[in-house]
Amino acid sequence: MNLFRRLFGKPSSDAPTPPQEHPVQLTTEMMSDAPPEALAQGAPIHTRRLGPPKTFATSNRRVRYGINSDIGGRGNNEDSALALMLNAEITGAPPPIGVFMVADGMGGHQDGEQASSITTRTVAQHVINEIMMPILEEHSPNADQKTVPEVLVDAMAAANRAVQDQVPGGGTTATCAVLRGDLAYFAHVGDSRAYLVSEGNLELVTRDHLLVRRLQELGQLTPEEADTHPQRNVLYRAVGQTEALEIDAATRRLPPLARVLLCSDGLWGVLGDARIASILAESPDPQEACDRLIAAVNDSGGTDNITAVLIQMPD
Amino acid sequence: MTDSNSTKHMNQPPSNALSVPDGSLQPGQVLQSRYRVLGIIGMGGMGAVYQARDLHFPNVTRLCAVKEMINMAQDQQLREQTIRNFERESEILATLNHPAIPQVYDYFSFGDRAYLVQEFIQGRDLEAILNSTDSFLPVEQIRQWGVEICEVLSYLHNHQPEPIVFRDMKPSNVMVDHHKRVRLIDFGIAKMFQTGVQGTMIGTEGYSPPEQYKGIATPAADIYALGASLHHLLTRRDPRLEPPFSFDQKPIKAFNQNVQDALAAVVMRALSYDPDQRYASAEAMKQSLEAASGNVVAAAAPASAPVAFGAPPVSMPVVAPAMAGAKAAPVSGVENVTPIWSFQVEDAIRSTPLVYNGIVYAGSYDNNLWALDAKDGSLKWKFATEGGIGSSPTYAGGSIYIGSSDQRLYSIDVRTGKRQWNLKTEGKIFTRPSAAVGLIFVGSDDGKLYAIKPQASSGREMWAYNIMTPIRSSPVVEDDRIYFGCDGGEFACVDVSGEPLWRFQTRRRIMSTPLIKDGIIFVGSDDWHFYALDIEQGYPIWRVRTKGPIVSSPAYGDGKVFFGSADGVFYALEAMGGREVWRYETGQPITSSPFVYKESVYFGCADNAVYSLHAKSGDMLWRFQTQGPVFSSPVVDNDTVFIGSDDKHIYALQA
Repeated sequence: MNLFRRLFGKPSSDAPTPPQEHPVQLTTEMMSDAPPEALAQGAPIHTRRLGPPKTFATSNRRVRYGINSDIGGRGNNEDSALALMLNAEITGAPPPIGVFMVADGMGGHQDGEQASSITTRTVAQHVINEIMMPILEEHSPNADQKTVPEVLVDAMAAANRAVQDQVPGGGTTATCAVLRGDLAYFAHVGDSRAYLVSEGNLELVTRDHLLVRRLQELGQLTPEEADTHPQRNVLYRAVGQTEALEIDAATRRLPPLARVLLCSDGLWGVLGDARIASILAESPDPQEACDRLIAAVNDSGGTDNITAVLIQMPD
Repeated sequence: MTDSNSTKHMNQPPSNALSVPDGSLQPGQVLQSRYRVLGIIGMGGMGAVYQARDLHFPNVTRLCAVKEMINMAQDQQLREQTIRNFERESEILATLNHPAIPQVYDYFSFGDRAYLVQEFIQGRDLEAILNSTDSFLPVEQIRQWGVEICEVLSYLHNHQPEPIVFRDMKPSNVMVDHHKRVRLIDFGIAKMFQTGVQGTMIGTEGYSPPEQYKGIATPAADIYALGASLHHLLTRRDPRLEPPFSFDQKPIKAFNQNVQDALAAVVMRALSYDPDQRYASAEAMKQSLEAASGNVVAAAAPASAPVAFGAPPVSMPVVAPAMAGAKAAPVSGVENVTPIWSFQVEDAIRSTPLVYNGIVYAGSYDNNLWALDAKDGSLKWKFATEGGIGSSPTYAGGSIYIGSSDQRLYSIDVRTGKRQWNLKTEGKIFTRPSAAVGLIFVGSDDGKLYAIKPQASSGREMWAYNIMTPIRSSPVVEDDRIYFGCDGGEFACVDVSGEPLWRFQTRRRIMSTPLIKDGIIFVGSDDWHFYALDIEQGYPIWRVRTKGPIVSSPAYGDGKVFFGSADGVFYALEAMGGREVWRYETGQPITSSPFVYKESVYFGCADNAVYSLHAKSGDMLWRFQTQGPVFSSPVVDNDTVFIGSDDKHIYALQA
């Protein structure tokens, strides 16, 4: 016997009467979803009317981010990247805290890969231990704790020592942003970059520690001459190269919907500011934006590794 | 030769030439049947340098230096270029005749090697001398070396038919022989100077001038490199380890106090990034160096050399404590301005006056609140309390509010100077009352923050928040929240109904009154630190350590926060990140809180003076001497500065 009849057919007289349900008029759409046998039977199909579908639009209530590191035109990927965001709805209502980083390694063999990786791990560990853990352990703010800039100085110094010990001769750039609430704390060495994007404006937050950039500042080279100078890749500061590492630092308050882009020179050196700005403007989703930036470099035939981390503030 | 795949490399201090083997000649080998190799002295630009003995003088030991050039170039064109370079050096040297330049004895070549035989110099180079000790070398010694090097550079630059530019001036290329005379070595890259010819960049990074990276090498380049060498010798800071072209950020005296200003000025002028700003000749530099000796007064060189350093448009500040040149007082500026008026009271004034509606109100330790006419200092009224007044008055709604060490908060009718009411606490009051949301907030030594509702003839206590330790930091109200510090070291945030919101714990008392700007709280502590705290939850954004307690309350102006410390220094820091923009050293503790008005910032000091500094640069504009320490703080209104002193006077000064 047909299943539907058994379930929905007339009950025997001493069985409880099933609740009388209004047989739903089968509309064309519903009928196309119904199994063919049922339709063939001609039996009324009792289904419940679906409510209007809920739409969940992309939420802008939280910090979002994208991260992508690509081998690009090289034989191996010497770049490293990291993105970590902590949101906690707990007593004390701590602000959201995040750490984001890009590092571009250099040196023979595997040295570049090792140097950038060690640096990224070391800095992230310091931020997690000294900034995030106190929040999770519910310490109220006091002067015994280090401030974020102080933690970053120590973290970079530790990374510097680690690279010197474990990868002698290796070095790396390092551009890091720690986010707490709406304040971004930057720590930076080398020629990877941090950009602040707000209301369509792209602003370079970091300074390239390149010899040619210094010559440009002194008016000795034009930007074009700098880009083609035989020593355009010469860095005067990098992690793992000297005993005492001096880093650059900055603090910025990020307005709603502002974005921070961290990237290696494999990205900014190929695309340039205008192109980066337009790709970002076309991509509301931060991960998609990172992916598109990298694809654009690959399409242009870049010869270096390509890395981007994009932070997007809520509205 | 663009190589987009080129690997990044660090700007390392040059190590020995790695492309040539470590010396091909062995001790005992004899060259040209004349020169017996004794050992390696070092590595030159193109190969090893050996010590050898001239066998043509069998009865004496005549030593010589044999410089070897091994032609490693694969490329034919490069081979020929290299040979030409070496021959050129030999020829140049052979024609030179100067006591500071080693004599050339011989030159020969065979196969892919060439040799230059020179006078052997017994002695050490300047880099080795510097590295042989950890302390500063005698300044006079360095100055003298500078003079001698200028002499030989002058000789080279005046060479006929064409000047010779040394191009590789650095401490390791200057030897001091056993007669203590300077000898220039390693002419490996010296070339005849031809105007406008651009070659590839050769030279030791760190000592080379900016234009040398464009391939331009003129006598001015040697002068820069000499300046860089002297800077290194005087400060012990190796320019190869520093960011390129950062001499302008490294004033010599900041590292070595033994260096006279005149000598430092000569070196810094030679280091001008613009070649036209340097000395026009080595001879001119020599004269300035000679004049800079301690003996000569009023040197020929200008007192402050007019140099324009290309300051980098730094978009990111550096974290390491800035060695910003400390300005010793006084740099420039007027001494002893004349006050517009002064008024004598009966004891010290240690608080900030209030100016309202043409009247200056100032509390004194003589127990009185004085009301004076702002224009001429004539007395309007005085209000007597029963204890010394060490805090500032506030105006709100027709009344003047003032706390006294008699434990009371007074409400005074602003028109008549008569008391409306007072409220007694259980401790002395040393904080300035704050008026907001219809209430008066004041802290007392009894450990409580009071919220008082002023009424016609009485003040009603609405609530009191007990923080348990005396409150000397005046409460600041913003957006329905009250912020203040206390003697227990806590900085607290309480809402206008008295509910605690958060606390930030420091290690010592907080006596400084906070400043709130752009969502950041700025406050100093007795624990020597100046803090920038987040307004929402009180965690520190940045902090700066001074060398003494900070009692002074900060002021804000043009993106900077200003405050003084008991360490005698007045600080101007960037508000966002805490980077030091400038500092002004007075030598005596500063507890006075600064006031920013138009282009200037004003404060008092324990050295009895009231200072007016230029807010942007920290240059002193004027200084007013009182007869006692100035622990109180100024207020500026209508181009007049009002401030009290321990000498019992209230002064009105022209801003």
